Amino acid sequence: MLFRLQMALEIQTRQADNGATVVAPTGRLDVAGAPILKDAINDATVAGSPKVVIDLEGVSFVDSTGLGSVIAALKQIRSKEGELRLAAPTQQVRVVLELTTLDRVFPYYATVEEALTGL
Amino acid sequence: MEGNQEKFEFRAFLTEVDPGLDLIHRSLANLRDTLERPVDDRPLMLFEIALGEIGGNVLTHGRPVGTDHQVEYVLRYDGHTAEATFTDRGAAAHEHLTNEMPGHESERGRGLAIARSILDQLGYERHGDVNSWHLVKRL
Repeated sequence: MLFRLQMALEIQTRQADNGATVVAPTGRLDVAGAPILKDAINDATVAGSPKVVIDLEGVSFVDSTGLGSVIAALKQIRSKEGELRLAAPTQQVRVVLELTTLDRVFPYYATVEEALTGL
Repeated sequence: MEGNQEKFEFRAFLTEVDPGLDLIHRSLANLRDTLERPVDDRPLMLFEIALGEIGGNVLTHGRPVGTDHQVEYVLRYDGHTAEATFTDRGAAAHEHLTNEMPGHESERGRGLAIARSILDQLGYERHGDVNSWHLVKRL
């Protein structure tokens, strides 16, 4: 049985037209990937009142530590009177949000464009 | 189960966290292919979530600093039920076994509560300085 190893998370960040930052992780948002997301959120929240969308379309798997990094992002952004929205979660991400009842804390949007609307 | 009844076994010794977790997920993908289940098969998805939680804990805490101990990982399927075992030499975990799901503000402490809620059985034993985790889910 041969496996080609694939390391955890890569992140791309871009500025949307409305000034919000779109953070797009790709890969596993787990105990190995969570610190990488935290670094990206730190960079995105340097400005006052940050507006951030995390695009979850490329996240193949999330675990409780990965969710913890999203909760940390939410607290960090709210402490600066900013706003965080989640977009395009995969089915696995939605299942974990539901298992932990965090779907009540993180209403998510179907697409990045929807998340950016009104942000 | 009415589908594929094929048996399956995978064994590995895991060391580093990131490649170890990758190998766990790839073993599950291989089981999914063997059983010809779709990517969104819910029982397999839940089993993979539990594997990720326990595997992440074991790889993070099960290899004492300054040692080169490996984590032994075994995944089996007998035609009805998936079973996984992790064997490590980390600290005893008894005090964490009954952790409840923390509040929404907490950034940690959900892993075992998630695994317990979605597995048919989550077993833990400690013999000497060896921990054994046993995860069971009927597929």
